[in-house]
Amino acid sequence: MSDLDAYRAKARAWLESVAPAYGKDALAGVTGEAHLAMGRRYQRAKFDAGFAGINWDPEWGGQGLSPLHKVIFEQEEMPFGMPMGYYGVSLGISVPVVMRFAQDRAWAKERVLAALKGDEIWCQLFSEPSGGSDLAGVRTKAETDGNGWKLNGQKLWTTWAQHSDYGVIIARNDPTVPKHKGLTFFWVDMRAPGVEVRPFRLAAGDSHVNEVFFDDVKLTDGQRLSPVGGGFGTAMATLMIERYSASDPNGFGPPLDAVIDLARHSEVAGRPAIEDGRVRSTIARSYALRAGLEAITTRAMKLMDAGMEPGPEGSINKLMSARSNQRICEMAIDLMGPQGLAWDRDGWPKADWVSSWLSVPTLRIAGGADEMLLNTIAEKILGLPQDHRPDKGVPFNQIPA
Amino acid sequence: MSILYDEAQQAIATESRRVLDARGDQARLLALLEQPGGYDETFWKTAVEQGWTALALPEAQGGLGLGLIELGLIAQASGAATAGAPFLTAGYGAARLLLASGNAELTARWLPKLAAGEALATFAFAEGNAPLPDRPRCVLDERGLAGEKPGVVAGLKADFAVVWCMHRGEPALALVELADASRQAIDSFDNGRLYADLLFADAPATLLLEGGAARDAARDALARMAVVTAHEQLGGAEALMFIARDYANTRKAFGQAIGAFQSVKHRIAEIYGLVEIARANCIHAASREGEPDFLRAAAAARLSATEAYDTAARDTVQIHGGIGVTWEGGLHLHMRRARSLATEQGNMFFWEDLLVEELTGAAE
Repeated sequence: MSDLDAYRAKARAWLESVAPAYGKDALAGVTGEAHLAMGRRYQRAKFDAGFAGINWDPEWGGQGLSPLHKVIFEQEEMPFGMPMGYYGVSLGISVPVVMRFAQDRAWAKERVLAALKGDEIWCQLFSEPSGGSDLAGVRTKAETDGNGWKLNGQKLWTTWAQHSDYGVIIARNDPTVPKHKGLTFFWVDMRAPGVEVRPFRLAAGDSHVNEVFFDDVKLTDGQRLSPVGGGFGTAMATLMIERYSASDPNGFGPPLDAVIDLARHSEVAGRPAIEDGRVRSTIARSYALRAGLEAITTRAMKLMDAGMEPGPEGSINKLMSARSNQRICEMAIDLMGPQGLAWDRDGWPKADWVSSWLSVPTLRIAGGADEMLLNTIAEKILGLPQDHRPDKGVPFNQIPA
Repeated sequence: MSILYDEAQQAIATESRRVLDARGDQARLLALLEQPGGYDETFWKTAVEQGWTALALPEAQGGLGLGLIELGLIAQASGAATAGAPFLTAGYGAARLLLASGNAELTARWLPKLAAGEALATFAFAEGNAPLPDRPRCVLDERGLAGEKPGVVAGLKADFAVVWCMHRGEPALALVELADASRQAIDSFDNGRLYADLLFADAPATLLLEGGAARDAARDALARMAVVTAHEQLGGAEALMFIARDYANTRKAFGQAIGAFQSVKHRIAEIYGLVEIARANCIHAASREGEPDFLRAAAAARLSATEAYDTAARDTVQIHGGIGVTWEGGLHLHMRRARSLATEQGNMFFWEDLLVEELTGAAE
């Protein structure tokens, strides 16, 4: 792995060199538009340094390296707290779809380059008020309109829609066929007339998600990214395009060292908390879980390095790490006692217990709720039957609402 | 760093599984539960014949010179079959202790026999419920070894044991032959493990190591055996996961396979998660043999494999409903084995504490 080790070292050296400008200390107290501006500058810096589009085709502005190089960079990047969140969906999901499926290739090339440089941001318009897990149940309508289409409906939970220039969207073009068969995939200009974006706050206090309303929004047929009625298959394919990304065995919370540090500097019944059996048990179990998840990742990377596909066990990462982190946060707040009641609204979840505890419930739902992940493991990996689905094979407009 | 199994290792996994499947017999294992002093002789003959006893011992002493990775794979196949005689793991631990002692004479005398399956060995560290007490009550002095060691795995049949004892005010390790020892069989919930209370009254014994060196060697041997056992637990947990899956796919209730109910399928998916964590930790720990972080890797494997096997046993029985709690159904073979293995190389309190000590760098 010496080539990869060298790449890791190079990535780390660069990240350390820009950390004073973009790292978590530089971001302390920076919020709103100023934070977004930092995010844009950081993305541009990555592009200029050759760390954007790491595994993308050089013809599309990428670096032409392997997915493994990308994962290595992400692993190194994670602890610095860089303002990279604005580009997670954009470059992780939406732009790869455009790169692969957009009809106007010259236009797509311009967009991809602008997105890689951080100038433009893309969102993904999948979930709706009536459902997020049940993707094929979307109700937003795409009706033919002259030579093109018009969109009507509402999306929900759309990450960073308020800063987005474009989005990819799935909508129902035919309600008279079973739900998976009447969907079509498009890209949409988020500044077009009839698009309205309303941010709303999550329980942790932040507002990175939005309601998005579509009121007679006109699309040309050139904005179509899938065959008419073939949107569900394309949506599934898009989820596979960038399937390799760095996972966090800490469940996007503080690392175990922080738990140990806290336990060393707290007391339980007049004795150091680190000597308390309950605290020790929690730390030991948490270590065993995180070490296991890390070893799964290491093996997956070795397989990729050997030109093979990683096993399906990587799919347990978010499920297991998020729940574990949630309980660790509860214990940390217990250990802090009344001092744990303080809430830093700009706290970074990877360094702040309360911020982490407030944001974990979102993590357990976003990108596949725990229950959906368990279904996927049961059905796709173990071969257990699907749930009873009363809407199966039924024309969408005859499914009881 | 973890590892990917190479072709030879994959062949060991497949072949051991095939042999044990062909020779497995649930009725034989069920009968053993009611025979204190009996063990799975078919398994043991297979182990000797296949060279599994020699696998992880040095070539110079008649072994095959392989390591924890390979022995772990054998243990995993044994765990899946609830096969097992307790000697494979305990004998390996005793051999490692002899090697650690540097006693060439004893090593030359016993290791070739262990490798050939002609001798059986075990370790006797625990007292009370402490897997490795700071100051054991067993004492070695000029008269010999005196004291009690409760619940020694394989204790009923082993030719010798390496005993954790006190010697001149320091903890020590001593080899004692068991031919003339007083051994009291425990009528156990998992009788094939040959548990015995050993009573020593000035028994002839040879000092192997003392003080810090004895403690280090004891912990290392315990950790090595824990990694082998973790593989055995992993094998059992994984087998249960597939048993539960197959039953849930065929058993029907309320007009559908019970695996279509989330209360059932999610239980099985949760077992999958625990099995994969345990597998990852087992492979990692086996690959860290002899490295400075071996103890913590072994502890992580031990904790996660125990959790996986206990949970898989608990939930697989539950998923089977009434049939799960019948004698003939046999799922209790796994349930029993899950708990006996969880106890043999030290309870979870011990491993949690040891892991936290390793993580915090706390002095003894």
